[in-house]
Amino acid sequence: MSEGYADETTLVNAESNVYDRGLDAAIGLSVLTFALGMVTLVDAVPLNASGAALGESLVTVLAVVGGGVGIVGVSSWANVTPVESHRVRGIALGLVGSTLGLTVLAYAVPVTLATLLGLTLVVEAVAVATAGLASRVEAVDTGPNTSAGLLAGVVFGALGLAIGTAVGGSLVGFDSPAWVAVALGAGLVLTALTVLPREDVGSTVPAALVVGTLGLTIATAAVGVGWQWNPQSLSGGFTGGAVVPLFVLVGAVLSAWAAAKCRAGFGARGREFGAFLVINLNAFLMVAVMATIVVFVTVKGVGYALHGFTIGALSALVLLAPLLVVVANAARTPAGTSDWHTGARQLFRLLPLAAVGSVAAVLLSVLLTGDRLAYPFTYSVQVNRAQRSLDTALAVTPEPTVGSLLLVVPALSLSVYFFRSYGSLRNVGRRFEWVETARRTLPLAVAGTVALTGLFLLVGPTPLGLPLGGTLGLAVVVLAALAALALSALPLGGVLVGEGALADRAQDAATLFTLGVFGGLALLTAALFLQATATVTPSVGPVNVVPAVALAGAVASLAATALVARAKRRTDETLQRRLLGEETSLGLTGVAGFLTLLGLHVAVTKVSFTALGVSVANAGTLSWPMTMQTYVPLGAEPGGILPAVVGTVWLVTGATLFAVPLGVGAAVFLTEYAEQGRFTALVEIATNALWSTPSIVFGLFGAAFLIPRLGGDESLLAGMLVLGFMLLPLVLITSREAVKAVPDEYRDASAALGVSQWVTIKSVVVPAAMPGVITGVILGVGRIAGETAPLILVLGSTLNATESAQVLDGFRFTAQPPFVANDALLSASASLPTQVWAVIAAGVSGSPSMGWASAFVLLLVVLTFYAVGITARTYFRRKLTYE
Amino acid sequence: MIDDVRTNTRETILGGDATEGSLLAVGASAATLAATILVFLFRPAIAVPMVGAFIFVTALGWVTYQAEIARLLTLIATVLTVLTVTFITIFLFASALPAFVEHGLGLLLVPIQGGEVRWFFWLESVLPVGESYWNPAGGAYSLIPAIWGTVMVTLVAGAIAGPLGLFGALFIAEVASDGLREVIKPGVEVLAGIPSIVYGFIGFQVLNGFVQRSFLDDGASFLIAGVVVGVMALPTVVSVGEDALSSVPDAMGDGSIAMGATRWQTMKSISIPAAFSGISAGVILGLGRAIGETMAVAAIMAAGVGLANPLFDFFDASATLTSLIAVNYGSASESTVDVLFVAGVMLFVIVAGMSVVSQYIERQMREKLRGEA
Repeated sequence: MSEGYADETTLVNAESNVYDRGLDAAIGLSVLTFALGMVTLVDAVPLNASGAALGESLVTVLAVVGGGVGIVGVSSWANVTPVESHRVRGIALGLVGSTLGLTVLAYAVPVTLATLLGLTLVVEAVAVATAGLASRVEAVDTGPNTSAGLLAGVVFGALGLAIGTAVGGSLVGFDSPAWVAVALGAGLVLTALTVLPREDVGSTVPAALVVGTLGLTIATAAVGVGWQWNPQSLSGGFTGGAVVPLFVLVGAVLSAWAAAKCRAGFGARGREFGAFLVINLNAFLMVAVMATIVVFVTVKGVGYALHGFTIGALSALVLLAPLLVVVANAARTPAGTSDWHTGARQLFRLLPLAAVGSVAAVLLSVLLTGDRLAYPFTYSVQVNRAQRSLDTALAVTPEPTVGSLLLVVPALSLSVYFFRSYGSLRNVGRRFEWVETARRTLPLAVAGTVALTGLFLLVGPTPLGLPLGGTLGLAVVVLAALAALALSALPLGGVLVGEGALADRAQDAATLFTLGVFGGLALLTAALFLQATATVTPSVGPVNVVPAVALAGAVASLAATALVARAKRRTDETLQRRLLGEETSLGLTGVAGFLTLLGLHVAVTKVSFTALGVSVANAGTLSWPMTMQTYVPLGAEPGGILPAVVGTVWLVTGATLFAVPLGVGAAVFLTEYAEQGRFTALVEIATNALWSTPSIVFGLFGAAFLIPRLGGDESLLAGMLVLGFMLLPLVLITSREAVKAVPDEYRDASAALGVSQWVTIKSVVVPAAMPGVITGVILGVGRIAGETAPLILVLGSTLNATESAQVLDGFRFTAQPPFVANDALLSASASLPTQVWAVIAAGVSGSPSMGWASAFVLLLVVLTFYAVGITARTYFRRKLTYE
Repeated sequence: MIDDVRTNTRETILGGDATEGSLLAVGASAATLAATILVFLFRPAIAVPMVGAFIFVTALGWVTYQAEIARLLTLIATVLTVLTVTFITIFLFASALPAFVEHGLGLLLVPIQGGEVRWFFWLESVLPVGESYWNPAGGAYSLIPAIWGTVMVTLVAGAIAGPLGLFGALFIAEVASDGLREVIKPGVEVLAGIPSIVYGFIGFQVLNGFVQRSFLDDGASFLIAGVVVGVMALPTVVSVGEDALSSVPDAMGDGSIAMGATRWQTMKSISIPAAFSGISAGVILGLGRAIGETMAVAAIMAAGVGLANPLFDFFDASATLTSLIAVNYGSASESTVDVLFVAGVMLFVIVAGMSVVSQYIERQMREKLRGEA
């Protein structure tokens, strides 16, 4: 309910004065103290640092604070996110000012960080008390209530009890019961001080007392860096290193709260500001914890994980292509709200394009100049309890080679992307009799080729000793490839030949575009698969026919698209511009599609293809030892964790294949077919119970139920099924939500057209629910990818596996039951999470460096799933609300 | 009666109007599936061909009676989901039964130390007592220390996740601006997504050292395991609590604002009381997460089966129910495995119970807010 309510600037637009400025500074100082308390708690800066060492750390903090405030200030000035609140501005200034002050103090006065923090707390206490008393004597205009309230009283009472216990315990000792009296006394006094006086005193003086006590304790080193308290009855104790930061944190929160109350003039508004400040600090703490975890694991693991990472510049460029397309598209569409400055809007639109474009330019320059680009770095690993540092480098090599799979993946995704942005060109352009004939014969040709492919797949390329594959297959492949070549040249020919302006010619050629791109792609795809099953690779001289045709098709489509795009710029007619835009999308679909086929050919035949010095090959363009090598026993170079990566990929695939059909099917049944009542409620409760069942219980179930039925040994298949059981409720719950969210109007409209229930579900409900289902599946997969506990019981992983599971090659067909078997599925495997566990379980003999690197790779995998899932959800949600 | 059942079954499986042909197709498909499940349960070796037969029959039906077969397939998916839950329950209990029968209350044996019964909530009058409480060779399996370990870890985790989670939920639901919420909410989700083994590894490598340095402990402790588990349970509390706060009708808050109350007063006196049961459901669910958390606890505290001394010593360490299973399962003997299944049954019952309770509370709250109860 944030918008719609007037905020303090519109309600009260009073000029601020010294009182306000001073309290803003006090709040800023408290927030800074809170941050420093967190920093010292994790020992990022030692508490006994002083002089230049302390100054340097504080300069870093100053840089962070100044940078953050500066960015917000600039974006506020540019009207991107305007900050109008005087309080926020004041606190920001106070934050920068107090950081600056502390930094100067650290250099000027030889004090330790602990003393400095203690003194800061004392200053805050004095500021808060002064403000409260100023309000009490009516020196400033405030609106306090008669009491600070019981809630505050209880909180201060509890604090007083704790402080009293500590003081009493250290003065009289815990042996005599006198400490109880001291504790109770302190608690009662603070409660009374809070509840009885007017609010301005009741909420400042007790806070000042507590903060001041904490500050003095630290500043006088009564509890200092070397302080220890080790009670006999506990197996642990307390040291200054832990207690001082905790004191600082508590003191900072208290003084920030009290100062905020003063700043807003007490009363209802003061309570609100105080509470919001504490809530905001808590949120800041949570974000900081999350960021710390991710950054920490990254810092610890990234060196080992990226050891020897090398990529060819051309491959990197190809991988970058989809990103480039996306950011270029983002730069073309207007973004942001209307009250942005146009300059800022332009900047934000172009910034991503500029960033990705400059990376692409760097890669291109590597390619052109032929200089290897390398970033050498050193990291240390622990080998046999000794630190050893290793030199390695991230490198971009200038080879003009693309890995075949590295080409297929981006090209295919781009092809799909362009095809989705292509609408329709039906009934556009001039009609030719021969085009219609070609359009009718094409499906027949493709179907014939596919049938031949199927035949060869069933009986092999030489049925009954007849070398059909080498003769008939070869002839069909060559014919299909030539036909595809001719088809792919059609759009270009249509645009070039003919009369009239370029735009008119391009529009007339629409029929040729659809025929050329779709027909060419279909025929060449069929030919590609036929040559794989017929085991022929037709070639003219040294050049293979199919990839050459694919390349030619890509070039021809690109040329035609470029011409159309040029024509689109020239024309003014809106309709024509739209049609030409469609043609451009279609042409780009063709380019990406033909390149996909080129990559697929190389991947399938394992023969590299070279043209004009640029080649598409199967190996040698990407080297990432951590994920692409197995463990190397006693090697000089650290080995990788390929078996674990492969294992996780198979586990996730298997679990998804098991859980998604079941989950989606059940969701459809429960929402569309079943009557809402007892049964659906029961299933809902059961799935929710299944969802919250501890993961280790799934492991026990797998061990007791699955393993005896799957050959009696720990196996990959058991792991897949167990993870599938865990994924099932997640998929079911999210799919059910998605299916439920489809408006009933859709179903009614479909039913009104006389469509049967099943067809409605198939073509209306499920497609509408698809985004939600996919998002749910991605997030669920992200969760199970990191699941460890059940896998310990059913997967049988070992540390340092050297064999990765060969599932695809593992299928065997036998004459007696069970007819089909797969040893790889039924044997133990490694996986990323169990790899990390194995390092822990190995104790001293495990390599922590490898553990960190594995944890980093695991985190990378899981967070990628989450990032994709959350982005997809935000995107679909925006689309649904037509933003 | 029998006719009734028949029509009912027929309607569930086929829907309203079915022809004889579709009955045959669906019947054949369902029969092969039932046979497949039976075969998998009792003769798993020939399950693969049965699956093939089911696929063949179903594919045949799909071509001829697509709508009916599709309906059947979704029904099958539902039934299989329910069957999974049933199987898990049955097999857990069945595997735990031998240990129940053999040890009985011995599984809850209260340890004696130095000739004195360790204080355990006056339960020693009902429970057996003994010197040796965990000794697989001697047949002594008391789960009391592990249960107590779970309680300690959950207490610390609750102390962390409860208040912080409430504040976090308030922040996301009420305080944050829209732009900030777009960032923080996914951030909390990502926090939930960090695998527990990563938390465990951080705890194992870093936090244990921190405890030794800063809390003079000799290694692992309930404190650090509880803090880590609390951070892990935090996102659950935040997101369920946030859902509860968001489901409070806007009209209630708007009414309060219109009366001149500040947003904090509205939150404190309207939103939080109205959503209180939802927030407590979130806390219960979060505690369930904490109880069931395995890897972080196992990585930080490893094994070690002993009762904390004194009972509330947060610097001590022992296995919890979950880490007991994870650490011991691989090397356990037959009878120990049975005891581990008892631990699994306890976890399953407790956590599933907490989940059901929290769902019940949430549903009650929603109905109340909608004015239905």
